[in-house]
Amino acid sequence: MSEEHKQYLKKQRIHKLVIRIIQIGILILIFGLWELSAYLEWSDPFITSSPSRVVKSIANLYTSGQLFTHLGATLWETVVSFLLSTVLGTAIAVILWWSETVRRVLEPYLIVLNSLPKVALGPLIIIWVGAGRTAIVTMALMICLIITVISALTGFMSVDEEKIQLMRSMGANKFQILSKLILPANIPNILSILKINVGLSWVGTIMGEYLVSREGIGYLLVYGSQVFKLDLVMASTLLLCVLATAMYLVVALAEKLISRFY
Amino acid sequence: MALLELKNVSLIYHSHDGETEALSDISLEVASGEFVAIVGPSGCGKTTLLSILAGLIAPSDGEVLVKGRPVGEARNVTALMPQRDQLFEWRSIYRNVLLGPEIKRNKDKEICAYADELLTKYGLGEFRKKRPSELSGGMRQRAALIRTLVTKPELLLLDEPFSALDFQTRLTVCDDVERIIREEGKTAVLVTHDISEAISMSDKVVVLSSRPACVEKIYDITLDKSIPPLKRREQKSFPVYFRSIWKDMEAPNE
Repeated sequence: MSEEHKQYLKKQRIHKLVIRIIQIGILILIFGLWELSAYLEWSDPFITSSPSRVVKSIANLYTSGQLFTHLGATLWETVVSFLLSTVLGTAIAVILWWSETVRRVLEPYLIVLNSLPKVALGPLIIIWVGAGRTAIVTMALMICLIITVISALTGFMSVDEEKIQLMRSMGANKFQILSKLILPANIPNILSILKINVGLSWVGTIMGEYLVSREGIGYLLVYGSQVFKLDLVMASTLLLCVLATAMYLVVALAEKLISRFY
Repeated sequence: MALLELKNVSLIYHSHDGETEALSDISLEVASGEFVAIVGPSGCGKTTLLSILAGLIAPSDGEVLVKGRPVGEARNVTALMPQRDQLFEWRSIYRNVLLGPEIKRNKDKEICAYADELLTKYGLGEFRKKRPSELSGGMRQRAALIRTLVTKPELLLLDEPFSALDFQTRLTVCDDVERIIREEGKTAVLVTHDISEAISMSDKVVVLSSRPACVEKIYDITLDKSIPPLKRREQKSFPVYFRSIWKDMEAPNE
């Protein structure tokens, strides 16, 4: 290795380290100022809470045994709606790819459903499927499903026509074109849909929990604000940050693993 | 008997804006072992004609016979090599080459051995486990050709197979492909817009007119075929053919 290259590598390492230090510094600064402002009573901790009160709030949830009930409920709903919307959405996209007639018939409906703010369906969902977990999962499903169908279908339709012609010239039937060309060609596309869906299923779940729930992070947020326990609201928000990021990282890791075999 | 016969083939495209006559009364014969190039002004319907030969589009009128049978029944006799190599990135070169047999559900030990043999013979043996993106443009084209050869077709249909390559690669791949096709004793129909390529590779050049395409002229190429296409371009009669074909393609369509 040349001296110049060594210098280059060293520079890169230092640059990376500096960025990491600044990142952590910003975090410490934010929490520090937050704590300080509450301690020196620049702001009213009753309204703005403070890191120490948030920690206390989380500890209380833990000792009363509620922490994992709430986390578990929300996580379950998110994961179920995430998986359901991905599987269902891809399956529907396959059907739409398969039949041009079905695709053209359903096109305006897809556009309307995609434009509709799905939260508007909340009251209907509660009445139709009952006020419970099913309603929350349905809500999240509504939010993720249509966009999954549309993005997956776009990916399916953009496979090079010449590849399809090649397969047809070999005598391939439609199922073979689907299984040997369309689906494998779309694995990167489906993986990126997964990443979008992680975020959307969190939106859907929290939305659903706002509307109807007796447990979960969304419930804690609503309950906390109603009884004016801002410590609880802040604690829930922080927990949500951690969980959502963790789930995103899991999906990103899965993507990395799959694309290595791909 | 001719391996491929076109009898008065016409094609009319139907679209929302009306109908367009793409091919008009094309008759043509390709004998077994012959290398035929089809040239014509761009947009004249060369690729459409090839799609008809591959049985992908049915002509509006006329007949396409492969070994005396309608082309639809002769799927195993023909194989298509598309414009770009169209290798599947998620498959290794070896599995790409075996796509045809996999689709026809006749992938057995014998065919796998044949695929291996072809890959080794044409310099891709050590690349069989590699992904297409790890190969050079020329090697990819060779892999695409082996993919068409693996199903043991008698008639190869080449749709401007070099159009995506840079000039230098194009000339060497041209030599490669011509040699491989002659060595394997295949019959080939090549569609191209490159007149030099057509003259240097083939036994017969068919010149199509602009749309609606009909056969303008057919040239028997009498260049010395024992030398590679690139060298054939140096022969005396080469520019004579070139000028003549160039003129045909310029000629306004009556």
